[in-house]
Amino acid sequence: MSPTLPLDRDSPDKWEVQLRKGCLELAILASLWGGELYGLEILRRLASDSELIVSEGTVYPLLSRLKSLGLLESKWVESDAGHPRKYYLLTPAGRERAIEMAQIWVRFSTGLGKLLLPLGKGTA
Amino acid sequence: MTISGESHQKIDAYLKRVRKALRGMPSDDADEIIAELHSHILDRAAAGGGEAAAAGRGEATVDGGEAPVAGVDAAIHGLGSPESLASQYATEALMIRAQVSRSPVVLMQSLFRWAGLSAAGFFVCLGALVGYVLAAVLLLCALVKPFRPHTAGLWTSNGADGLNLGFHLGFGASTPQGKEILGWWIIPIGLALGYGLFVWTTRCALWSVRQYRNSRELRRS
Repeated sequence: MSPTLPLDRDSPDKWEVQLRKGCLELAILASLWGGELYGLEILRRLASDSELIVSEGTVYPLLSRLKSLGLLESKWVESDAGHPRKYYLLTPAGRERAIEMAQIWVRFSTGLGKLLLPLGKGTA
Repeated sequence: MTISGESHQKIDAYLKRVRKALRGMPSDDADEIIAELHSHILDRAAAGGGEAAAAGRGEATVDGGEAPVAGVDAAIHGLGSPESLASQYATEALMIRAQVSRSPVVLMQSLFRWAGLSAAGFFVCLGALVGYVLAAVLLLCALVKPFRPHTAGLWTSNGADGLNLGFHLGFGASTPQGKEILGWWIIPIGLALGYGLFVWTTRCALWSVRQYRNSRELRRS
């Protein structure tokens, strides 16, 4: 047996971070499902609805990637605040991708949920 | 909340540094990024420091008890340093370009840009350069061999400083000193190894970019 790596001690935390990060793309696409939002609104939506803890420095570059991939499009809209805002909206390809990812997510979490049922009873 | 002249100077100074770090990116794209960040900072600042922490980090309380700094400062802090922000944009753009084109020229251009922004980028760029050059040498040797059999190939020599191993591309006038190894085998071996190294270098470089990107997100979130 190989010795336990010191990394293992904090791995549940790291695992959670990885998990959240892996869902970020889906979360962003989903946040735009109901209509166009600008960057800060997306950040707020992520924080309030999904407890996804993300920094602005991560979300803006990711938005620009999703746009380059053709999943999002953007437009500048004048605001009451006196400066224009960049709004993002889903393209048809983005909608398709969001649905696909959501299906995978539901299938996966339902399956895993069954497996985790006994553990829930144990901790309750 | 109104924004003072001093705050405007702060915003401009920050965005100027980001713009500088984004150099090499198509200027339309860079302009748009700057405009978006500008708009973000203004909105975030107008919403006040408390909201800034709440929206950026899920809950205001997780900030280690540190009182939220005034609007603009908090907004700028949330975006991170100009270099790390630009580096994230650069790696995102790099991955996109890599998906569109497998050309080593395109990849190297992007890597050079990234190399200017982070230490990780520098080392990945250096590694890729070495890989591509070696792959090119192997391929060239194999291709030139049929035309210049006496001057192209792989030679060894036992010099004063020990065993030397050298490729000769066949452009020199005279046959190199020492003993040729591989002989005609340089053609199949050079082609196979060169091609393999070429593909492998591309893969490793992209893998490193992805690792870097993931680790950045991990650290900053």
